[in-house]
Amino acid sequence: MSQTSPIRVVMAKAGLDGHDRGVKVISGLLREAGMEVIYLGPFQMAGNIVQAAIEEDADVIGLSSLSGEHLSFAPKVLDLLKDNKTGNVLIIMGGVIPVEDIPVLKEMGIAEVFISGSSSQSVIDFIRENVKRERRNVN
Amino acid sequence: MTNKSDSLIEAYFEKPKKTETLSGLSVKEFYNPEDTKDLNYEGDMADPGEYPYTRGIYRDMYRGRYWTRREVCGYGTAAETNERLKFHMKTGASGLSVIPDIPTQLGVDGDHPQAMEEVGLQGAPFTSLKDVEDLVSGIPLDKISMSFNESASSCPVTLAQYIIVAEKQGVDKAKLRGTMQNDPLHARYCGYRPNNPIDLSVRASTDIIEYCTKHMPLWTTGNVNLYDWREMGINAPQEIAFGFSVAMAYIDGVLKRGLDIDEFAPRRGFYCSAHIDFFEEIAKLRAARRMWSRIMREQYGAKNPRSLMFRFGVHTAGCSLVPQQPLNNIIRIAYEALVAVLGGVQSLHCCSYDEPISLPTEESHRLAIRTQQILAFETGVANATDPLGGSYYVESLTNRIEEEATAVLKEIEKRGGAVECMKTGWFDAEVEEAALKYQRDVEAGERVVVGVNAFTIGREKETPGGVHRVAPASQKLQVENVKELKQSRDNQKVRMVLQKLRQETEKGEHVNLMPAILEAVSNYATRGEIMGTIRQVYGYSYDSLGVVESPF
Repeated sequence: MSQTSPIRVVMAKAGLDGHDRGVKVISGLLREAGMEVIYLGPFQMAGNIVQAAIEEDADVIGLSSLSGEHLSFAPKVLDLLKDNKTGNVLIIMGGVIPVEDIPVLKEMGIAEVFISGSSSQSVIDFIRENVKRERRNVN
Repeated sequence: MTNKSDSLIEAYFEKPKKTETLSGLSVKEFYNPEDTKDLNYEGDMADPGEYPYTRGIYRDMYRGRYWTRREVCGYGTAAETNERLKFHMKTGASGLSVIPDIPTQLGVDGDHPQAMEEVGLQGAPFTSLKDVEDLVSGIPLDKISMSFNESASSCPVTLAQYIIVAEKQGVDKAKLRGTMQNDPLHARYCGYRPNNPIDLSVRASTDIIEYCTKHMPLWTTGNVNLYDWREMGINAPQEIAFGFSVAMAYIDGVLKRGLDIDEFAPRRGFYCSAHIDFFEEIAKLRAARRMWSRIMREQYGAKNPRSLMFRFGVHTAGCSLVPQQPLNNIIRIAYEALVAVLGGVQSLHCCSYDEPISLPTEESHRLAIRTQQILAFETGVANATDPLGGSYYVESLTNRIEEEATAVLKEIEKRGGAVECMKTGWFDAEVEEAALKYQRDVEAGERVVVGVNAFTIGREKETPGGVHRVAPASQKLQVENVKELKQSRDNQKVRMVLQKLRQETEKGEHVNLMPAILEAVSNYATRGEIMGTIRQVYGYSYDSLGVVESPF
C-alpha cells in the first residue's frame, strides 16, 4: 500500500500589500490540519512565488491579496507556472476580492477564491479534494 | 435533518452562546452598587474635564463642538483623491483625512519597478510636491483640518509637502490644523517593516514632534495608532497596552532632545478602534483616558492639564466587517460609531460598508458621513457628556479593562518596553496567537458572525452598490508623471539639496532634519530620493525594497 506524504502548500502575500493577518491565520490552520506550509512572507513578486513553489515541490500555492491587485497579479503567477510546465500546482486565492471577480479569476486558472469570512475547513476540504495526489505518492 | 417547525421553536428559544466579552472578560447577570463600591467619584471618575478624565476631556464635550466627522480617503492619483475630498466637504464632512498608497507608505516613488502596479490602490500617491499640490488644489488649507493617515518613517516628507503647498497658498504653517499620524513603530506591523527600522522610526517621529511643537501650534504631532494593533486580532486591554507602550517610546525619544513634557504632550493624540462589543469598547475608551492621565502625571510628571488628556480619533473596526451580505455592515458601523461617541471621541472615521470588498464608492462614502450626521443631529446622544458614567456595569467594566491593560503594560515594561518587544518578536507572537484564537472561536461557532457562520444565504453573485476600481489608466498616468518630473526639474539643484540633507543627517540626531527635508521637497526631490539619502547615512540600502540604486 502506498503511503502519502503531506500536502505541501506555499503561501504568499501578493506584491507589496502588507495585510497579513488572514494569510498567517490560514497558514497556521492548514498546518494544524497536517499540511506542510511554507509561508513566504510579504513583498512576494510573481517570480519569487513560482520559484519557491518549484523549489519546495509545492502541491498548492495560496495567494493573499487585499489591495485590489488580484486581477493583474494572478495572471503573472499563472503564466510563469505555465512557462515552467508546473501545471499540476493548484492555485488558490484569498483576501479582499469582489464576488464579481471570482468567475474572472477562475477563468484565468485560479482553482478557487476564498474571500474574507471563509472557514479554514472549506480551504482544507478544497485542497484535499483537488490536489493532484497521484504525483505525490511515495512507496 | 431538522424540519421547519423544529427550527422555528429553536429560534424561539435562542439565547447567547457566550456571555463573556469579545476580549474574554466574564460578565455577570447584572451589576449593582456592590460592583462599584470601591470607586471614589473625585479620584477615579470626576466630572468631565477634570482629572483623571474618565468621563471625558471636556466639560461641555459636544455642546462646544461636535466630534470631527472625517472619512479616510485616497485612491488613484492625487487629483482623483482631490475630487473625492471635495465631495466629502460638499456632503458635510467637517474634516478631511487622506491615506497614502503602499509605495508612499514604503517610502518609494511611484515609478519604482516593483511598486508601479500598487500605485493608487490602497491610497493616494505622494511621490513629490506635485502630488500634494494636486491633492489639495482648490481647498483652502487655513479653513480645514487635514488628517494624514500615514505612519511610516517618511512622514516628515509628507508633512514638508503639505507645509510647502500651504505656503504657496499663502497660509503660514502656524495656522495649519490637522494631524500627521506619525507612528512608524506601529507601521512595522502593517506590512511596512523594511522602511521602518527602529532607529529611523523613532528619529523621524521625534523630528516631527519637535518641529511641530516649535512651529505648528495647532497641529497634532502624532496619533499613536492603537487601531491597527487591534485589527491584527488582539483584545481591548492589549490594544491599550501595546499602543501606550509605543506612545511612551516616542515620549522618551523627545525627552532626550531636551524638550519638557509639557511643551509637547498637549499636542499628542491617539487613534483607537471601536469594535463590535458595545459596552466593552465604551469601557475601553473610558479606561484609556484614566490610565493615560495617570501615566502622564505620575510617570512623566506632566502638569499642564492638556498634557494629561487622552485625545483620540476612532476608526470603526474594519475587521468586524464581512463581505457576506455586505449591507449588514452598515448596521455594524452604526453601532461602532455610537460606541465612539458614547466613549467621548474627538474625531471619527466610519468605515464604508464595502470595506471588505473594495475601496469605497462615492455612495458608500456618503453613507458613512450620513451615519455620523444622523448620530450627531438626530439621535440626541451628543446632548450630555459621558451619558453612561455611573452605570454599575460600565464603571465595573472600565475598572476591569484598566486592570487587564495595566497588567499587559507591566509585562511589556518588564520585557524592556515597546522597542525591546519589537526586537524580540514578542509583539508578533502575541498578535499571531490572538488572531488564531479569534478564528478558531468563529469556526467553532463560539462566536457568531451574522452571514458568516450563522444566518447565511450562500455565495452571492454581486456587490450591492457596485465595486469601486482604480483605473489602470490612473496608475499609468501617475507613473508617467513621476518619470516626467524627474526629467523636467532642475536636477543639479536636486543633487545639491540632497547632498545638504546627507550632511545634516550625518551630524547626528540632535539636528532636526525637517528644514533640510523642506528644502529638498520644495525643489521637487522625491520621497524615495529623500528617504534613500537618509537611509544610506543610517547604513541601510538606498531603496527600502533593495532594488533601486541612488541616481545621485
